[in-house]
Amino acid sequence: MNILEINNLHASVEGKEILRGVSLTVPEGEVHALMGPNGAGKSTLSAVLTGRPGYTVTEGSVLYRGQDLLALKPEERSWAGLFLSFQYPIEIPGVSISAFMKAAVDARRKAAGKATLSAAEYLRLLNEKMAFVGMKPEFAKREVNVGFSGGEKKRCEIFQMAMLDPALSILDETDSGLDVDALKTVADGVNALRGPQKSALVITHYKRLLEMVVPDRVHVLKAGSIVAEGGFELVEQIENEGYDSIR
Amino acid sequence: MNRIYIAGIDEIPQRCTLEDNDLLQITIVCPPGYSSDINFAIDLLRPGVQLDLAGLYFCTRGERQNFNITVRHMVGGATSHQLFKGILGQGGSAVFDGLIHVAPGAGQTVATQQNHSILLDSASSSETHPQLEIYADDVECSHGATVGALNEDELFYLRSRGIPEDEARRMQILSFLSPVLNRLPEDKQKFLLDRL
Repeated sequence: MNILEINNLHASVEGKEILRGVSLTVPEGEVHALMGPNGAGKSTLSAVLTGRPGYTVTEGSVLYRGQDLLALKPEERSWAGLFLSFQYPIEIPGVSISAFMKAAVDARRKAAGKATLSAAEYLRLLNEKMAFVGMKPEFAKREVNVGFSGGEKKRCEIFQMAMLDPALSILDETDSGLDVDALKTVADGVNALRGPQKSALVITHYKRLLEMVVPDRVHVLKAGSIVAEGGFELVEQIENEGYDSIR
Repeated sequence: MNRIYIAGIDEIPQRCTLEDNDLLQITIVCPPGYSSDINFAIDLLRPGVQLDLAGLYFCTRGERQNFNITVRHMVGGATSHQLFKGILGQGGSAVFDGLIHVAPGAGQTVATQQNHSILLDSASSSETHPQLEIYADDVECSHGATVGALNEDELFYLRSRGIPEDEARRMQILSFLSPVLNRLPEDKQKFLLDRL
């Protein structure tokens, strides 16, 4: 069974076609890398997959565990197990991380027909996941992403990923601008969530994250379509010879 | 001193003077379901006093809210800060008239005024008329006003985590109002949020 099947996906932003026939399949339980130069359409693809407003799909389809993903609202995609680690996480002043995640966890449990976690159960989960990503406990009371460094924001994304325990995680350049410690947190987070029912699509420019999270398969996106697919040797080729070497 | 006035429950004074207290904090709340005209003039009469005035208004079901706020710096060396935040929807409207007066000789005055509102739909409106009357030199006075919609990027971020759209918007409203909302004790916050 494939968790994600993208077929001939065309999408545009403000009338400009960015994705020009992307086809990509991620089987259940696999971690795939998506690489590509700036402007190739990587972030557009993650936006379309998660239902960000402003992107128009003009052709093609996306199946998530066989279900039409594009027909779902962003929150419904989350309930179905999809997670996006944002390239630029958003600040929400006046809302604490704890309250934010409580709302997210509650909504997801409600959608799954499960009972709400008690305050004590929630706190235990929160503390466990914060410790897992190396966030200090006082961050629970901090306003979401407000005043966070770049590394803290990315760490907070991985914390949210751990809290929501997604079936398919999309990491949109989560490694950009990270120091070694934060990078290791990201890698540990993705690796810990690996399993037969856990998949990920890691969007990146760099080899260093993929050395820590070794992908099962690598896809290269250029000018809005997939131009190459293969194993880790593609990562090596891009690192050594650049994207121009791939046609 | 911290005074909280809730329109429709508390009587809101029309005038007050700031002389004896070093710091006076006033928070005016106009809860949902209630239209009001608030005329309030505050005189700062002693150097060194500080006025910290904030307001919160909900015109989410077509309410009309009028503010006519006058802050008079009668002597120099005093400070006043004003922050008013409103949410408008379903044809709600607010007009904010804010006058800052700095009397002759009232140098080294610091006075700020901010009025920000969020329109939940195009049927609602918000107007701000700031006015500065400055008759002294060496003063710092500023005003700022914004009218906008809920931020779409914020909304998407919340929804992408599985928070349903309605609840996400409610969270955004709380986020926007939080600088003023946080000045209220928990029971009053709850009173308001239950009515939102």
